[in-house]
Amino acid sequence: MENLSELWHGFTIAVTVPHLALMVVGVLLGILVGVLPGLGAPNGVSLLLPLTFGMQPVSAIILLSSMYWGALFGGSVTSILFNIPGEPSSVATTFDGYPMARDGRPTTALATAFGSAAFGALIGVILITFLATWVAQVALAFGPAEYFAVYFLAFASFVGMGGAAPVKTIVALAIGFAIAAIGIDTVSGSVRLTMGVDELVKGVNFVVAVMGLFGIGELLVAVEEEFHARAVSSKIEWREVFRAIGRLPRHSVALLRSAAIGCWMGITPGGPTAASFMSYGIARRFSRRGRHFGTGEVEGIISPETADHAAGTSALLPMLSLGIPGSATAAVMMGGLMIWGLNPGPMLFVDQKDFVWGLIASMYVGNIVAVALVLLTVPVFAALMRIPFVVIAPLIVIICVVGAYSVSNSYLDVVMMLGFGIVGYLFKKLFYPLAPLVLAIVIGDKAEDAFRQSMLMSKGSLSIFFANKLVTCLIVAGLALLLLPLVLQLARLWRKPAAPAAETTAQEKVII
Amino acid sequence: MGRTSKLLLSAAAAVLAGTMPALSAWQPQKPIEFVATAGPGGGTDNLARAVQNIITKHKLVEQPIVVVNKGGGSGAEGYVYGKASAGDPYKVIFGTSNAWQQPLVSKVAFNYTDLTPIAAMAQDEFLLWVKQDAPYKTAGDYLKAAASGEFKMGGAQSKDTDEVLTRMIEKAGKVKLTYIPFKSGAETAVQLAGGHLESHVNNPSESLGQWRGGTQRPLCVFSPKRLPQGPKVTATEGWSDIPTCVEQGLDIKQYEQPRTVWLPGKVTPDQAAFYVDLMKKVQATPEWKDYIEKTSQVDTFLTGAEFDKFIKEDLEHVKQVAGEQGWLVK
Amino acid sequence: MISRRALELATAVLTGSFGVTVVVSSLDNGIGWSSTGVEAGTFPFLTGIIIVLGSLYNLVRSVLPAATLANVPIAITSIELRRLAGLFVPAAIFVAAIPLAGMYVASSLYVFTVLAIPRHQSVPRALAMAAATALALYVVFERMFQVSLPHGALAAALGF
Repeated sequence: MENLSELWHGFTIAVTVPHLALMVVGVLLGILVGVLPGLGAPNGVSLLLPLTFGMQPVSAIILLSSMYWGALFGGSVTSILFNIPGEPSSVATTFDGYPMARDGRPTTALATAFGSAAFGALIGVILITFLATWVAQVALAFGPAEYFAVYFLAFASFVGMGGAAPVKTIVALAIGFAIAAIGIDTVSGSVRLTMGVDELVKGVNFVVAVMGLFGIGELLVAVEEEFHARAVSSKIEWREVFRAIGRLPRHSVALLRSAAIGCWMGITPGGPTAASFMSYGIARRFSRRGRHFGTGEVEGIISPETADHAAGTSALLPMLSLGIPGSATAAVMMGGLMIWGLNPGPMLFVDQKDFVWGLIASMYVGNIVAVALVLLTVPVFAALMRIPFVVIAPLIVIICVVGAYSVSNSYLDVVMMLGFGIVGYLFKKLFYPLAPLVLAIVIGDKAEDAFRQSMLMSKGSLSIFFANKLVTCLIVAGLALLLLPLVLQLARLWRKPAAPAAETTAQEKVII
Repeated sequence: MGRTSKLLLSAAAAVLAGTMPALSAWQPQKPIEFVATAGPGGGTDNLARAVQNIITKHKLVEQPIVVVNKGGGSGAEGYVYGKASAGDPYKVIFGTSNAWQQPLVSKVAFNYTDLTPIAAMAQDEFLLWVKQDAPYKTAGDYLKAAASGEFKMGGAQSKDTDEVLTRMIEKAGKVKLTYIPFKSGAETAVQLAGGHLESHVNNPSESLGQWRGGTQRPLCVFSPKRLPQGPKVTATEGWSDIPTCVEQGLDIKQYEQPRTVWLPGKVTPDQAAFYVDLMKKVQATPEWKDYIEKTSQVDTFLTGAEFDKFIKEDLEHVKQVAGEQGWLVK
Repeated sequence: MISRRALELATAVLTGSFGVTVVVSSLDNGIGWSSTGVEAGTFPFLTGIIIVLGSLYNLVRSVLPAATLANVPIAITSIELRRLAGLFVPAAIFVAAIPLAGMYVASSLYVFTVLAIPRHQSVPRALAMAAATALALYVVFERMFQVSLPHGALAAALGF
């Protein structure tokens, strides 16, 4: 067990007083940027980067990665409390987290989310520790066709399961794809769908769309339902934090399944967003309480959160071993590595043992520090729910406006965000599902790029998607997930020819 | 830093400060925004941040500097922003040759003439890379094997520098390559390491780690002479050991990507002169030398008529390639 | 008062016209296969067609007798409409005021107005909250994270 001794050596580097202090600073700052939508880990990293030039590379990366953990945790806070996901990967957390919080259980929702997130991250780090070389090899096997297959699998596991009218789902999905296509197209280099607005050449940022669709849209739905009449008795309850954590082991199946999905999607280039959606979709299908998903189910929070963090953690490995930044934050960190005089890539593990194993050890310690700090903040955040609606509503509007603006310092984004708010309200009111739309905005253009790159490689033949075992398995799994519900439904129709008409109205209660 | 050099530096600073009003009458009165036409972590972003750090460290400007990323639409977002800020001397745009190449091949709402050129600060070299275990040892072998017409060449973005160079290789080597565009050079490098491509034309810094790690190696450099001597990259080789492409029978004498700095249009000559001067001072610092060396770029400084001439020549060249490929926008 | 049917109709028209715009502008990029692979307009064109067809379906369904549609014929009552406007109109005015007044002034005015005018809070408290909002934005964004929020045309005219 060579890795174990390396890891032990890493711990002796990571667990020192100055490094623990750096972790606390990093995590706190990360929670702050994570909680504020629009600001994200990249902002924090670029803020801290100049400070790190005088530091040892290990200290610098510990500070930055701790901030990354903090931001990952913080991102779930606004998703749960206000239905505003600050990062693409915390969208799926809103589906059950927000209903639970609105139901008067914000403490439970937050504690559950943080607990399962920490579990996911832990599994991710263990994977990195013991399978680093193997994981790097797996990642190399992914060409454009395999990328496409992974995205396809993510779509297939999520779409086709919602309770919404099929045509409305399809319309929402297609609108998402169209929005993702706005801007410059990677494969041809041409400008698409800007509709005469020059600034749209930059594309529509996910955060702008989601703050409108979810944040403002939900605010409009809430004000209409006379939300301020709610009597949420969210007392500051420390005991509930521990009770929620204590209940987690009961959902060990969901935890393990989600961690597995997360790790898999983190290593393959699917990423945390696809992982959280896929995990939620699969949990909804296979959980015994799947029908109640969307109303504040515990497993509806566990599944996306565990997968998100497992993927987020294991996605750091390709950055170290291959030099591909998996996210914007990783990209800034890589810029940092170069400035510190290190070259990310296969040689890092050989040349810079102290650095790599110090970082890996700090992931264990950093996550423990992060979850401890973040659990301490739960009652504080939960108390936000007690602020009367009339006061919190304008603050949410300001958060959304400033968040949309700070994404790329653009006023147009703010106006678009408000427009998305109206769309979000209409869609919610008329039971158009928002999740497929968001999923399409986030990975739609990547899927399209991968498909067209594959077509270039194969000179237009679809056989490239069945060219080797890996891609064939992925595509077949995707097709199976996509067609399974259809087949089941047909089978049910076969047995009970007269489908009850009342079902449509019953279904219109909970729509993801 | 020794006391003497500190003294010297402060003396130099005093001289500079004394002569500054004579060189440029204009001085910034409020915070300056550096606009990087690339996402965080890209080459252009690194340059903008390096310049910001140097200026702040040496206190070359009294006002604070903020770096903003506007990398949407392959950089078009940043240039359009520059165009919209005409007359505002507090926005400095950092880009590449994209500024004049992109308007040729796609319908973007700007042209380089909408901006005021300040300088080209560094040149990134291009190399021809293949997978470590590929059978060919020289560019000549590579071209022979590529004659089969089955070769896939990867690169960052479409109809951009990488694809222009690919088309030049096709012409010079009389071969046909399938060009597959990816989002960035880093992504392309990984695709080559995984064996999904036969080659790519990354900049040195984009594939440095991969070369050291033994997953890919450079065949030749698109430069008139070999790269300067530096520390060894692998056990046996350094940048200066790579032959030029012309040596190996691939007749492309020079292909480089300049890192360019711009102001918005309609600024006064005084204001432009201030920034030209500022960039010159940045270039004189040891930190700049360090940055250039670590990113394996070539230190150059083109401004004024020289820079204009460079743009015109490059533009003619790209126009020719783009015209042959039918890329020009009508 | 807005009926469910009218709302469905309006939304279907909205999505449909977006679909038409997508189809039209994707034609500029070319659809089908060329020497450079699948052309840039192909996927947007297909999604546009899907949006148009789906919208037409939803449109027709909303015109058909309501029995198939839903159990609630009224989507938004007039009281609800007033509440919606009460939230959205000030927010829209706030956003519209940003280019002129800047983020700080606009947001503090916005907070003050929505809290003090409907008498949700006393005037001094509303004032305090408005000032705190602007200050917090300044400290967190402008100072800590170096995100420059818009200062507005007025501030520029005054020389900030």
